[in-house]
Amino acid sequence: MQDTITALINPADAQGQYLSDAALNQLRQYFERGMMRVKAAATISATASQIISRTVAKSLLYGDITLPGGNMYPTRRYAACLRDLNYFLRYATYAMLAADPSILDERVLNGLKETYQTLGVPIDRVVQALNAMKEVLNETVGSEAGQELAGYLDHIIAGLS
Amino acid sequence: MSLVAQVIAQSDAADRFLSSAELNKLEEFFSKGALRIQVAQKLAANERKIVEEGSKRFWAKCPNTPSNRGDAQKTALCQRDQAWYIRLISYCVLAGNDKPLEDIGLNGMREMYVSLGVPLNNLRIAMTSLKEVTAGLLSAEEMALAAPYFDRLIRAF
Repeated sequence: MQDTITALINPADAQGQYLSDAALNQLRQYFERGMMRVKAAATISATASQIISRTVAKSLLYGDITLPGGNMYPTRRYAACLRDLNYFLRYATYAMLAADPSILDERVLNGLKETYQTLGVPIDRVVQALNAMKEVLNETVGSEAGQELAGYLDHIIAGLS
Repeated sequence: MSLVAQVIAQSDAADRFLSSAELNKLEEFFSKGALRIQVAQKLAANERKIVEEGSKRFWAKCPNTPSNRGDAQKTALCQRDQAWYIRLISYCVLAGNDKPLEDIGLNGMREMYVSLGVPLNNLRIAMTSLKEVTAGLLSAEEMALAAPYFDRLIRAF
């Protein structure tokens, strides 16, 4: 995976140079928001299952999808949905810490849309859940980290659409 | 791969959210962010001085060495390599781990210097001299961030 720091060091090394002032400024901004991101990641680590429950309640629970014939029925498929939402949350958290979306491309989106299509997972409902997760995160970790996480969830949405 | 990427990869390999130990590591890393940048800037600004003063110290301790035999071209190459190691240490300070040093400057390093006929023992003394000069230029707090990477470099020879 790529992260902000490595992404700045590698091109400098290719030139045999120290990091330029511009690169150091980018790094300074990354470092300055580091504590805020770690704090948000700590909250997510501690409350992930609640975040997922609230996301489902906001988006999927009261719809047809949980009824017989729906894609979250029976319980095995409900659990698979929880697991996938958990993945999205975990990888969005990683991407936020790295301030780089590449881990989403490599570990989440690679083949995901095709898998969902094969399994008949309704992608519009996944998108609906991801949008609900953005709202829940905003309430849970605050708007600053919430906005960054929303950017990475949007990246997942774009990759599925 | 930076400390941040390393911690994420470790957490990902275990299929879980970050542990409190991992979060503490990141917190510690980010808390010194401004200082890390300052150290990287000082290493860049003083690279020439560190190498020149380091060479003087090195030759005093180890006068019979390829860089001190009157071949200006060889001396320049040796000093260029030493400057590169200062640069790699500056990357490590920013990355929070020794991966840049390992990946760019240590993997294959022994084979290269053996092939060039540069005695590894002498190089260890040279790198130790660079560390000593740097310690005189940085504050104790700044040096605490750079010293582990000098030590890693010295241990490699």
